[in-house]
Amino acid sequence: MKKVFTFDQDQCCACGCCVVACTDQNDIDLRCGDIPFRKTFDDEFATADGHYSAYISAACMHCVDAPCITACPVGCISKDPETGFTIYDNTNCIGCKSCAMACPFGAPRYRHSDGKMVKCDGCNERVKAGLRPACVKACPFGALDCVDEEEYLASGSNKACNVLIHNLDLRF
Amino acid sequence: MTDLEKKIKAKIPGEDTGIEVKHAMCSICSPGMHCGVDCYVKDGRIIKVEGMESHPWSKGKICVKGQSGRDYVYREDRIKTPLKRVGARGEGKFEPISWDEAIAMIAENLNKVKAEYGPESVMFLSGYCKWYRPWLHRMAHVFGTPNFGTDDCNCSAAMVVANKCTSGTGGGADFGKCNTFFGWNYDGYYSNHMNVASVKGVKKRGGKVIIIDIRETPAVKNLADIFVQINPGTDGALALGMANEIIKNGWEDKEYVEKYTHGFAQYKALCAEYDLDKVEAITGVSKDMIKELARLYACEGPTACNYSASALVHHINGFNAHRAVLCLSALTGNFDRAGGQVPVPVTYLHKSAGFSTREAEFRSSADPRKTNPDCKRILGADRFPLWEEKFDETQTMDLLHQLTTDEPYPIRAIYAHGMNVKMYPESDNLARAMAEKLDFFVLTDLFMTYTAKWADLVLPACSSFERSEIKCYAGGYAVFTEPVIQPLYESRSDVDIIYDVYHALGLKDELMDLGYEGSIDWMFDGCGTCVSELKNGHNMPLKVPNAKWPVAPGKQLENGFKTPTGKFEFYSESIAKVDKKYGLDPLPVYYDSLADEPDPEGRYPYYLCTGARLSISLHSRVHEVPYLRQLRKHPMCEVNMEDMKALGLKDGDDVVLYSPHGEITVKVHGTFKIKPGVILMLHGYTEANVNLLEGRDHLDPYSGYPGHKGMRCNIRKEVK
Amino acid sequence: MNTIAIIGFGGAGYNAARAIRKKDSEALIDVYSDSAKGPYCPMLTTYFVKGSIPLEAMYPFGTIDEIQKELNTNFYNKTVTAVKGAEKCIVTDDGTEKAYDNIIITTGSSAIMPPIPGLDLPGVFKMRTDADALYLKELLDSDKARTCLVIGASWVGIKVVEDTVMAGLETTLVDGADWMFITAAFEETSLRAQKYLESKGVRVSCGEMLDHIEQEYDGSLTALMKSGDRFNADCIAICIGVRMNTGFLKDSGIAMNRGVIVDKKMQTNIPGIYAAGDCCESIDSQSGTNMNIGVWANAQQQGAVAGVNAAGGNQEFDANILINLAHFLDYDFLAYGNIRLCSPDDDWYEYEDEKYYIKACRGQDGSIKCVNITGSADINGLFKNNFIKGLIEGETSFNVKAACQMRDKGVPQSFIDFLGGIKID
Repeated sequence: MKKVFTFDQDQCCACGCCVVACTDQNDIDLRCGDIPFRKTFDDEFATADGHYSAYISAACMHCVDAPCITACPVGCISKDPETGFTIYDNTNCIGCKSCAMACPFGAPRYRHSDGKMVKCDGCNERVKAGLRPACVKACPFGALDCVDEEEYLASGSNKACNVLIHNLDLRF
Repeated sequence: MTDLEKKIKAKIPGEDTGIEVKHAMCSICSPGMHCGVDCYVKDGRIIKVEGMESHPWSKGKICVKGQSGRDYVYREDRIKTPLKRVGARGEGKFEPISWDEAIAMIAENLNKVKAEYGPESVMFLSGYCKWYRPWLHRMAHVFGTPNFGTDDCNCSAAMVVANKCTSGTGGGADFGKCNTFFGWNYDGYYSNHMNVASVKGVKKRGGKVIIIDIRETPAVKNLADIFVQINPGTDGALALGMANEIIKNGWEDKEYVEKYTHGFAQYKALCAEYDLDKVEAITGVSKDMIKELARLYACEGPTACNYSASALVHHINGFNAHRAVLCLSALTGNFDRAGGQVPVPVTYLHKSAGFSTREAEFRSSADPRKTNPDCKRILGADRFPLWEEKFDETQTMDLLHQLTTDEPYPIRAIYAHGMNVKMYPESDNLARAMAEKLDFFVLTDLFMTYTAKWADLVLPACSSFERSEIKCYAGGYAVFTEPVIQPLYESRSDVDIIYDVYHALGLKDELMDLGYEGSIDWMFDGCGTCVSELKNGHNMPLKVPNAKWPVAPGKQLENGFKTPTGKFEFYSESIAKVDKKYGLDPLPVYYDSLADEPDPEGRYPYYLCTGARLSISLHSRVHEVPYLRQLRKHPMCEVNMEDMKALGLKDGDDVVLYSPHGEITVKVHGTFKIKPGVILMLHGYTEANVNLLEGRDHLDPYSGYPGHKGMRCNIRKEVK
Repeated sequence: MNTIAIIGFGGAGYNAARAIRKKDSEALIDVYSDSAKGPYCPMLTTYFVKGSIPLEAMYPFGTIDEIQKELNTNFYNKTVTAVKGAEKCIVTDDGTEKAYDNIIITTGSSAIMPPIPGLDLPGVFKMRTDADALYLKELLDSDKARTCLVIGASWVGIKVVEDTVMAGLETTLVDGADWMFITAAFEETSLRAQKYLESKGVRVSCGEMLDHIEQEYDGSLTALMKSGDRFNADCIAICIGVRMNTGFLKDSGIAMNRGVIVDKKMQTNIPGIYAAGDCCESIDSQSGTNMNIGVWANAQQQGAVAGVNAAGGNQEFDANILINLAHFLDYDFLAYGNIRLCSPDDDWYEYEDEKYYIKACRGQDGSIKCVNITGSADINGLFKNNFIKGLIEGETSFNVKAACQMRDKGVPQSFIDFLGGIKID
């Protein structure tokens, strides 16, 4: 069953639960300067009539046609046929950052401790085991979710992360 | 990687991976919360935590602090063994000693001070967490001192005392039935993740949500229909102004006022002083908005209001501000009524669960002030008589004063668990006074804190994952938790330490002698269950047979309020009784929150509010947790964009915040979310402790509470 | 049944084959290549040399056998010597001729080794193929070389410098142009990169054209420059650029410049004949003119588009931009857009702090012409996407999320504004 990450900006407060859950799940070594795969943003923007407060959680969007897959010269990145997540095996990663240049969302992370790329894999193993991705499980406010593609399509929502790619942002 | 290796890496629980999910309880924050946590345990170590889905109260939700539980438990600065000071006090040099030596040292020193100066010269103090307090409290009393103190002198208990002086009890917002919700200082996203859904529920049913705050929080963005950005420290004036409008328009609930309240005429006269022009000038809220707020509160009810634990009472006018806000509920007939405020008595340790326990009796039945006619007055009593009268703990904000003056009597020893000097104004001066005046200071904590470095003896406590604890929850639940991992290093449960000390001191007390579990059974007698039944092997809260939930409103209206008049007291008879020399007004009068430190030359033009909540912090408790520290790397103050421009500052610059009392260097962040002239600074950082800027006497005369959330300061760019 | 020939089997050819097979399980696909190795990215050569990957990992799609099996294609290890455009017929080195419904030319490009005396001396090498990589690795592993001269501050030249520096060789980099990376870098950017290289012990000399190379009595090599300067080293890398492998198309009737000219569908002037990847000149989205853009991701996408169209589909490739990331010795430098379009009358932007150096040029019409940024590797995709969106949709603003990310990374607001600002939905 293919999965879709959804994010509802109106429920988010950038509390960081998702980021910490990602850190915890993936044993991110913060002491080495590594950073988790998900990140929250708490920022403000001046507007014509005041300001806008942004509370955002972002990680890999698991694009349907993920440009990072073709960009990788070593073929580290692929799609999991079951979940549809963009997964990777960085054994042969050369740290060339081509994936980061291909990604319109800044999702791939260059891990300084071993010079390899890492990124959100949607907690692929957890999802396959019937669990929710760590960040989704952690969100106390219902801003992040991960649902079956069919369920998502039936809901008529426009909050899917990977659909955003087609509607809003990415052209390649 | 094999499939099994992949599963182990992904921490999938199962027999094949050897990963077991064990239920536990988070106790990082206030006992008003304490959510259920699932610990993923492999080989006796926690490898991951997440919210406990099957928990009847927290229902799988935990906040970002709880989500950091693993990193909290395995923090590098956990104290590993009992440590005896070898350097100078404050130097932080210790050597490990055995538990036996440590306990003997405590008994010897405390008994020595007792013999030399009397038992009152020994203070028993507690900071976070609070779970062992009944035993520590009773031990202090059995030892012979009334001087048991906690962070309640500095946390939310001023609100409890203000309630006692007004309505007799507190009242929780009835989210389920209100039509209008006044989120006065409400910000669930940062400080109470469990009730955001309740506010969303109000909106969903078509109710209106109003948020009154000095800061535009996520709750404002995501929940508020109306956001009222009020000048800091002026909430009392707004409440009086709204009351004036309500009364002027005849919107008050006349029947309720007549039948259930006391002092309306005086209150009405007070409110009449707060006309729209005056209130607008004080609060910065427009006249139209004040009128609208009054109308919404009175005419679009039932109206429930948020009473924030500390946002108001951490002003030197905060005790009265809370009373003024509280009075609106009675004025409009919403107090103790469905959809308004519902008084829900506390069952045990700040938690209401629909049944009663003998906690208060356990804590205070051995109070030496009752048993010993020669017992000296509790510390702070002379300065804060209302506190002495209404709260069975020291007003510890007087500690610095009493230490330095030895008046009315000397304090010579402190036995503390979790004491946090950084939470006191002039923290460094307090630490130095302790170093100078105390014969003995012992502190139990999980971490080698700033305070611990001043102690003569430091003892390692363990976390809630490593020990047992009794806990109640709304809905009529209780659990007696059991450890999910062994205590790390030589750390121990606080209660076990207290009992060892109790025995070593040679004390004798019938209730204490019941032991930990036995005394719980004594306190919980009559609820229909007991510790042995609550221990269920998987830390699952169980329904308490005799609990009645939900708690229905109307009991005060039916049986009378727990006040001297039995009514809701606009005019507080408890305050009227206090000696006039203290100048306390029985009415919720408003005065300036900076009045005590005039600044005619305008040398400190900024209004400094410390401790405005963020998701990532709780006092100083989690600043050193790397999982959380990554979300805000540096101590950082927030300054309005206009001020940033005027000061020539840009995001990330180093600035110095300073007052007549001290200064700190922090990063600066520009924001639109607060008004010009206001500066927010999170408290609790060791490297940038904002309470150094607060004077020891910047206290609310009613409660003794420090004005953490309202003080004068100035800011300048740090020049390197 | 659709019959399709693919000439050359690198990233573009492989992706063409995949795309065809995905669309048409019946089509006959004949693959011609003079190499029997699996497709690989030429960029991997220097990574293999420095030990980032084992040799097998250079061929991420598998061996030729595995690929033929997977995609059900026929593989001919032959050199195509000519294409008869009108008949869509190909001629191989053994003289056989075969006509197809569609032909896809993906012959790539080769490192230029100009006919200069001394380039055939032992110790003189290029860096493009797996054989080149094996040569350099053996040389470095042998510990024989102490010094290296790299001629050509190209994207590959700089990676060879990284290899030799990491192997402990005293390294000199010379370039014929006035400054390094002159086809993409502004002088100011280039000077910063040069300074960084110099801080890592690399000697850099620009404006040096090679005349010839001589071998010294001790076996070492001396590069004699047109200026009269001499550079002595144990080994010399020639990294002065690539030439498109299109010589065999001379009389094919296919429109050519230096590369094969194609439209957005990757089709040549002859219907049914396509070209993709490094051998073609596709339409640069920025200038609308045909241009060779040798970028791995582009080559693969172009190949896939050619494949889809050859299999009867209808797809265009419209995000064809000049973009290059040079990263070496923990330094990274992004260049995108066409530096040749910039003029002094344009709007210019420059910024520098501890993390970034940014120089950018924007035309009077508001469109971005060329951007250089150093230190931005982890968010380069945001810039790239912004540029492409601007070209295709005329929309250059960042959404809130992208803006948050950029600001979080310390990108100055002034640069965000220069690129098109922030749009709040």
